[in-house]
Amino acid sequence: MKKQLLLTSLSIVLALSLAACGNSNSNNNSEGATAATTGEKTKISYWTGDRHDAEFIKEKVAEFNETNTDGIEVELVVKGDDFDTALDLSFQTADSPDVIRVKENTIGTFYKKEYLAPIDEYLSDELKAKFPEMADLNTFDGKRYSLPNYGTTMRLIYNKDLFAKAGVTAPPTTLQELVDIAKKLTVAGKADGAYGFAQNFKNPASALGRSARVIAEMSGFGGFGYDFKTARFDFTGFKSIIEAFKQIKDDGSMLPGVESLDIDPLRAQFAEGKIGMYLSYSSEPGVYSTQFPAKIDWAAAPAPTIDGNAKGASGFLGGQWLALSAKSKHKDAAWKFMEYMYGDSILTAYQEKGFGISMVPSISAVAKVPEVNGIEGFLPNKYDGVWPVYPIVAPEGMKSDDAFFKYMLNGGDLGAVITDLNKRYNSALDDAITNDGLVAKPDPGFDPAALAGKFAK
Amino acid sequence: MNNKTKNAAFAYSYLFPSAFLTLVLGIYPIAWAFRYMFYNYKGYGTARFIGLDNFTRILQDIQFWDSVVNTFVYAGGKLLLSIPLSLLLAAILNRGLKGKHLLRAVFFMPTVISTAVMAVVFFTIFNSYNGILNQFLIKFNITSSGIDWLGPKHAMLTVILVAVWGAVGNYMLLFLAGLQNIPEDVYESSALDGANKVQQFRYITLPMLGPVMQMVIMLAIITALKGYESIMVLTEGGPAGKTEVMFLYLYKLFFPLGGGSATQVQEFGYGSAVAFVSALIVGMISLLYFYASKRMNRID
Repeated sequence: MKKQLLLTSLSIVLALSLAACGNSNSNNNSEGATAATTGEKTKISYWTGDRHDAEFIKEKVAEFNETNTDGIEVELVVKGDDFDTALDLSFQTADSPDVIRVKENTIGTFYKKEYLAPIDEYLSDELKAKFPEMADLNTFDGKRYSLPNYGTTMRLIYNKDLFAKAGVTAPPTTLQELVDIAKKLTVAGKADGAYGFAQNFKNPASALGRSARVIAEMSGFGGFGYDFKTARFDFTGFKSIIEAFKQIKDDGSMLPGVESLDIDPLRAQFAEGKIGMYLSYSSEPGVYSTQFPAKIDWAAAPAPTIDGNAKGASGFLGGQWLALSAKSKHKDAAWKFMEYMYGDSILTAYQEKGFGISMVPSISAVAKVPEVNGIEGFLPNKYDGVWPVYPIVAPEGMKSDDAFFKYMLNGGDLGAVITDLNKRYNSALDDAITNDGLVAKPDPGFDPAALAGKFAK
Repeated sequence: MNNKTKNAAFAYSYLFPSAFLTLVLGIYPIAWAFRYMFYNYKGYGTARFIGLDNFTRILQDIQFWDSVVNTFVYAGGKLLLSIPLSLLLAAILNRGLKGKHLLRAVFFMPTVISTAVMAVVFFTIFNSYNGILNQFLIKFNITSSGIDWLGPKHAMLTVILVAVWGAVGNYMLLFLAGLQNIPEDVYESSALDGANKVQQFRYITLPMLGPVMQMVIMLAIITALKGYESIMVLTEGGPAGKTEVMFLYLYKLFFPLGGGSATQVQEFGYGSAVAFVSALIVGMISLLYFYASKRMNRID
């Protein structure tokens, strides 16, 4: 009988402890100031998916933890490619972060999911004037959810050593030149295992999002197939781009195994001199100075256009950086951390160390050109510009990037693929307008070329 | 309170923790999915009731049916290789072999290693640009150039081989338990009657392993049809859907991999419907096998 009682008690204790698991923080409401007086630390967490600046951010977080007088302790969590998924899961539990790294393609969705808290109450007039307000990039329905730090440009990154070996003097400016140079570089480098071009097709959305997108945008087409003039999807502009990529693959000028290549292994191969060219973001110089020290001489150039005529703008991505979690129990403490991170010294160091190019006018005016090798090619030029935010829709069937990659591998009728994509994406767009309140209005006067050049010094 | 009631009360109190967990982690998510499969729900905003539209979409969803075919190829390949191999290993290790305990532990090891970690290790072996396997093959002049193990032609074979490596030790252990239950004197008397080792295996070992075999195959079918973790790490279902199995396709509907859920729309409603149909397919195949194997047992 005693044994039965003991076991029963144990079962109840176990069950109760399980139920208590998700509630461990519920009484921990003390804010920084209170914590400082009581000697208790207010623990907050900052989640980021960025790895190129991880060491720098780690250093700054440690500095904040040591120097802040409010008793705030920040836990830095650097996630990988699963950042969005991990964040979704965290918001289903009691473990969501207090401060979140947001990007131009995530802030809108996080706002809709109600993950973010507006920061207007914390913004002094000085801060409001210092950090530009950008609709749909840091401001939604008149409320601000983040502030800009740096912008990301997109470029063609090339191996200067391999170019010299192949006798190529300048990076390509058209798709045809891209195909031809990739072939020449492969001829020159194949014996040493080097190939002309590479893309990280383990994830076609990531691969084409950093390559086809910028070529389309430079050529005057919406980078995700959306036409702001008509407010409809039209992937026709991608036809020659995808055909060129297929040609490079068919020519044997693409690094073998790109089908299973992730972006970090691609960078590792480039750093070793095994890749002649690829397209990516301005985070690359940081990568090659810390994450994968480059053994080659390399540089960056504007992405090629379809026919040599820049009719649009090369996307300058940014307008936001840190955001406050709507579920944070320590919003004041979290803001203090954000305020520290948005301080002039960190923002200036961010540019000068080459992690990104400042989008804050007062920083941009005084920050020196980064000392990181290769960054000069990424600095804003006459082609860079901020595109409006593209609508995200849920088409039935295969997504555009998967359909394009499938064509690259299997061939077929690309025209038919594009017609099908247009039909499905526009149907999803109509559905989102009707049922989800998405606003998509035609802007007949939209001129993508007019977006360019506003950030060039 | 009489003794019978007391005992029942104790029994229920013991059951409570596991029943609670089953309810929260098993029944509740299933009930959630049952509701949302009739809705269009993207994880935010209002869920919109759309009746059977999600099921009509499934019927026309070529990607889903391709993933079903891929699942059958993957599961079939895994079963055809892992079951005979694990049975053979069990038969060998059931004998008085020197170091058999160590070998059993070695073969069982993959079962306790995380699938994701295992897949990352295999990625470094199989990847085409600097994979260890290709370097080995080229160094020993077995091939002149690297083989694209994770490319369109070989990706399915590669993911099957990785799955077999992960499964063999587990099934081997189950077979070993079955083999050790077969009385030694049956073999001795058959030997006296002149049966050789092959005949003993065919006419004694296999029939007497029947119930264990039935259970192992059932387990293997369900695991293979639901497996996707190592594929997600190795190929993410690519290239161009060549290794996209049913449950990976389903996972991507809930948690898109292409740049994350924030850059693509999560489809909780449609995903729930696909989850239901996928579970139905796995359930039907398992049931079919269960009845077929029971029938075969009766014939035997």
